[in-house]
Amino acid sequence: MEPRWAQTGRDGPDDDDWGQQQPPSSLFLQLPSNATLRFRGNVAKAWGAALDEGEPPGAPQERDGEGAREQESVPLKQLPLCMAEKRILRLREQRVAWKRSRWEQWQVGMRHLWGQVRGALLYAQVWRGSLHRIEGHFGTGIQSYFNFLRFLVLLNLGGALLMVGFVVAPNAAFEGLQLNQTQRGQNSMVNRSCLQYDPTERGLVSYFTYLMDLLSGTGFMELTHLFYGYYQNSAVDFVGFSYNIPLAYLLSVLGYFSVCLLWIVHRAVHLLKRSLVGENWELSTYSHKVFAGWDFCLAPGTAAAMKHNSLRYELRMDLEEQTLRRLMAQRSPGQRLALFSLRGALNLLVLGLLGAAFYGVYRATEYSQRAQDTSPGQQGLVLGLLVAYLPSIVITAANQLVPLAFGLLVRLERYPLSLEIRLTLLRTVFLRLSSLLVLLFSLWTQITCHGDPAADSCRICHYNHQQHPCWETSVGQEMYKLLVFDLLVLLLVLLLVEFPRKLLVTHGPAPLARLLGQQEFLVPPNVLDLVYSQTVCWVGTAFSPLLPLLHAAKFILFFYLKKLTLFSNCRPADRTFRASISSFFFLLVLLLGLAIAWVPLLYSVFVLQPSQACGPFRGEPTMWSTLWVAIDTLPLVAREFLQFVGSLAFAVPLFLLLCILMFYLMALDHSYSCLVKELKGQLRLEGQDKVFLVTQITELS
Amino acid sequence: MLKEEREFLAVFNFSYLNIQPSCKDKGKEQWDKNQDSETEMGNKQTIFTPEQLDAYQDCTFFTRKEILRLFYRYRDLAPQLVPLSYINKPDVKLPYELIGSMAELKDNPFRQRIAEVFSEDGEGNMTLDDFLDMFSVLSEMAPRDLKAYYAFKIYDFNNDDYICKSDLEKTVNKLTRNELTPEEVSLVCDKVIDEADQDNDGKLSVEDFQHMIVRAPDFLSTFHIRI
Repeated sequence: MEPRWAQTGRDGPDDDDWGQQQPPSSLFLQLPSNATLRFRGNVAKAWGAALDEGEPPGAPQERDGEGAREQESVPLKQLPLCMAEKRILRLREQRVAWKRSRWEQWQVGMRHLWGQVRGALLYAQVWRGSLHRIEGHFGTGIQSYFNFLRFLVLLNLGGALLMVGFVVAPNAAFEGLQLNQTQRGQNSMVNRSCLQYDPTERGLVSYFTYLMDLLSGTGFMELTHLFYGYYQNSAVDFVGFSYNIPLAYLLSVLGYFSVCLLWIVHRAVHLLKRSLVGENWELSTYSHKVFAGWDFCLAPGTAAAMKHNSLRYELRMDLEEQTLRRLMAQRSPGQRLALFSLRGALNLLVLGLLGAAFYGVYRATEYSQRAQDTSPGQQGLVLGLLVAYLPSIVITAANQLVPLAFGLLVRLERYPLSLEIRLTLLRTVFLRLSSLLVLLFSLWTQITCHGDPAADSCRICHYNHQQHPCWETSVGQEMYKLLVFDLLVLLLVLLLVEFPRKLLVTHGPAPLARLLGQQEFLVPPNVLDLVYSQTVCWVGTAFSPLLPLLHAAKFILFFYLKKLTLFSNCRPADRTFRASISSFFFLLVLLLGLAIAWVPLLYSVFVLQPSQACGPFRGEPTMWSTLWVAIDTLPLVAREFLQFVGSLAFAVPLFLLLCILMFYLMALDHSYSCLVKELKGQLRLEGQDKVFLVTQITELS
Repeated sequence: MLKEEREFLAVFNFSYLNIQPSCKDKGKEQWDKNQDSETEMGNKQTIFTPEQLDAYQDCTFFTRKEILRLFYRYRDLAPQLVPLSYINKPDVKLPYELIGSMAELKDNPFRQRIAEVFSEDGEGNMTLDDFLDMFSVLSEMAPRDLKAYYAFKIYDFNNDDYICKSDLEKTVNKLTRNELTPEEVSLVCDKVIDEADQDNDGKLSVEDFQHMIVRAPDFLSTFHIRI
């Protein structure tokens, strides 16, 4: 909708014009729509009315018709009345209360109880005090980052509980109690060279090998509960049932993924309900900034001053963007063509950068895996670590440097500011999640000899048993190294970049301080870091059951370190960060990460052959076959039902039904938005009618 | 209260405040301290009767502990004015200057309007009831419609039940501390009225405001004070 002032070319409607058309307000006050206002009332009248008459204004009964009963459906606390009136209403309710039946009393009691439980739950949140302090000093935008971090900690702790409870703890218990484990899946047809797997070091071991093993998950750490290779393909028989370890492993991994999915979707829906959609969000930026822009919970002092500055900056930027858009719309076709060709060239450059980054990751992983196998203990400590961490180093370097290039390029493309921010964000998300996929792809090519089962190394065991006698553990080790490296990078950046910058800015020479500026806590790159870490956790859980627990510990450490750097080194951001919509967006990106993590999981479960030398699935053709074997032991009805559910005859109609449902909802949404537009137009006409009629009445009378 | 008495009290209370170290720092300390500490609970029986506490619990979003904590905050503003026991329902009103000097409200550009909206006499002098009501509406458990209604009254500077352009200009100036040029302020106000005005009368009514707030999901998190 074109604003009125843009159409007429003036600066805005003058007050004089409106004044002439506006009829005297006395008539307006008598209209029924104003009467509702007066019930909720002008301050002075409402006070007087309640205390003199001893009753609140009679309007509630007129409006609601059912008096006391209606009042209870809206709790007393939510009525916009002053305290004295609420007390009087409460006394009236209590007088009526003991006339009520027992059922209604019970209902009211339950509602009270539920309200109290909700209040208590709100109290019992972890880190409530810290989040409150952050909100007070830096605003709700930065608090949303820490909220997200807390959510991830809880998610990982829940997942760790599941994995530890069903996989790690029973195994440890069985070993500790030395229970008799019956081996399963013995396939005597397998070639003996496939069964060779011995990662323990023999002979004289130099001291730094232990450190290297700790940091890269090899050596003494390889045959522990941490990695897939340690578990056995066995079952323990108790009275009445037998605890099947491979089945437990498979089901708990799948259950963990499903629980994560449900939890994230539940939270996303909860957030979406608050940020209700119906129309374009961009249509109300100014009113949002003016009415919902000031954080009422800011602490006194510099935080408030910064907020004033940021609001002023933002309003100015929005007005500038407005004029820029008007200029853009007035460009000539020649200029537009030049701009589009420039944008096309820059997009190609972006793709080129992405391709270069992916190729770097691919080669680094290949080199690292090959170098690790040939001479693990003969390199020095530093060189060995460098080789082992090469993929992590390349990925982290790409994740830090390429977005900087994106930021520079996008400024050349001359988009409006909001679009710039979104485009950079999308490109960065794509970079981060895809670099992880490229790492996995590189591992896959080595494990399955580029997907060629007839290649030399893969002919005997269907996977490269010389390089990767236990390939699941190799994948798990890569994910473990990414975890450790992430933490190391955070500590290093904190110590070597952020604190020195703060020292330089506060105590260094003034020109340098002004050039550098105090660090700004940018929420989107930090949140993308978290999403990336969480995706690493998900990808690695199937191959390393303790990874969720390690990630939970890492995120807890993250929380405290980030809080420390926030309070010591950073200043609040210039642009207000719209917490609510962006929280939903970050959950969406998290879901994208989860979707990406499903791909390697499903591929390894359904297609790849498990290692025959290690792990709980040795001797099985695929991981999924254990489930089929277990289903065969169920009674006939359950077996047939499950087979039906798993077959195409069920999946295809279900898919078609879901598609139909989705199209129906889309059509419904479209029709609702048309209806809303129409009703808005009608409202406008009604308002004009009202003004016209009242003018006529005053003229006639 | 007579005008002379009010002036006397205002002076008296100011001098009471000046004894302490600079208000700015003390406010900040107080704010931080209040977030982490647990004030010790006096004997509930001596301050309020059980019926009074029940009434407060039903009429606000606070629990008993929080109501007592708020009472102590209220009393801390002027210990010589506020008695320790409300059993006899004393009629005590704290002047606006004291309310406006609270750490949570000190730097809020709308503190005067907030106090005026929630006070009985419309001038910012608050009784304990008003004080509790104010923080109850501004707490995180209050629903959006309730907050939107009171926010509307706060932004309606001339109390005519409409937010007109002059109200908006005052709001924007308070938000930016008068640092925008008058043309920019006028432009922003025009855009706000454009966006939110449904019935095209050039000003915002309660329904317009509430409809606009429904589409502002940040409102719930920004329009709240934790105490």
